[in-house]
Amino acid sequence: MIEKLTQNLVNLKKEFVSVYDGNSQIQEVIPVSKSELFPIERQDLELLHQFATKNPIYYNSYEKIIGDIHCIVYEGDINKYWLNSIQHGSSHAPFSPTWIMSAYVGALFAKELGYAEVIDIGSGDGRIAFCAKVLDMESYSIELDDMLVDLQKLLCTILDFNPYCSDAGIFDYSLLNLKQPIFFIGGLAQMGGISLASDILKKIDTMYDLWNNSGWVFAGTLSQKYAPDPKNEAGWGTLIEKNNLKSIQSISLPTAWTFHEPDDTPYVFAQSI
Amino acid sequence: MDAIDDISKMFHIESEKLENLINTAITKPELSVHEIVETYYQIMNVSSMIAMLKQQIDENEHKTFLDKIQETEKIISTKFDSAIHPQIMEQLANSIQDTTGNLQSINSEQKSKEDIENEAKLYEKLRAKMSTKEFVEQYDKGLSHD
Repeated sequence: MIEKLTQNLVNLKKEFVSVYDGNSQIQEVIPVSKSELFPIERQDLELLHQFATKNPIYYNSYEKIIGDIHCIVYEGDINKYWLNSIQHGSSHAPFSPTWIMSAYVGALFAKELGYAEVIDIGSGDGRIAFCAKVLDMESYSIELDDMLVDLQKLLCTILDFNPYCSDAGIFDYSLLNLKQPIFFIGGLAQMGGISLASDILKKIDTMYDLWNNSGWVFAGTLSQKYAPDPKNEAGWGTLIEKNNLKSIQSISLPTAWTFHEPDDTPYVFAQSI
Repeated sequence: MDAIDDISKMFHIESEKLENLINTAITKPELSVHEIVETYYQIMNVSSMIAMLKQQIDENEHKTFLDKIQETEKIISTKFDSAIHPQIMEQLANSIQDTTGNLQSINSEQKSKEDIENEAKLYEKLRAKMSTKEFVEQYDKGLSHD
């Protein structure tokens, strides 16, 4: 189901790119209702729309039929958050969000893999943690930028996804009493992601029971702008091997930063060997 | 006409292009991002040619050409590296600071779709200045290693 849903979302994005004529900095779509291509529960879709409607990064929305799918297009601007986030000395990557639908599909896959808790690292506006909560998983959102955490607190009035304003590299994960967590690492390998992920992997490695039960999701890139990793995995191969992890599956999903690119963002799911 | 004449001709064209860019940089109070990138590109282009030619040219056989190379090298060192380059670094740093301050002071309440999309263009310019600064800083690191 995940592969089909992923492919349908990628196709929807391609169709949207071909018809979009607006000027917004970021833009994305969410289907209005459950369909054969998007068999998502009505109440889940409603919560995704609430997340976008209440989220101040979006300043405009309108209905549009894309392909055969009745969607709402959300247009947004993240410039002021970008400006704030780049002023943090330890910020690994400036804020740029994945699509809400991609966050939902990623969290759904994590749930299908049997994970009970999602920890959204470098969470931006907390959309992955939010989607995990929509899917009845426990979720936590770790973000360094105070302006973004304030934004998350506003969105927590829909569903509480437990935002923490903290440097994820020094956060005390034992506080969360995790049992079977999956960590979504924000930031590409080539944009500080390796260092961020290494710090967290090191911390979890010291929590012996947790290491074997933990999953990892790395946002990769196929862009030729970046030097490829010799072990591949969209930039994460060396880190995966070095930390005795194995890649389970990679799914490509639309993100704000790949809107104009032919390739979407590969999310590499990994776990300990 | 032999190969060295072709190379000499090409070097003269490229160094003249560089001198024009340097003269523009001297006379203009502030260069655009495009002008900055174009100037550094030409500096690197001519510097690479100089490095290669100095290894290949016979000092006794092509003295005039070698003099021209050394003259261009001196222009890069005295006019660009010691004067224009530090000014560009300062100009970019100040401009980034000013634009950042201006964007942070803009009231974010009650903005129309058009206001937001026009303001986004200022952010785009800021990003262009920031990446140009990174590029210029790379050049500066190269100078300090020379």
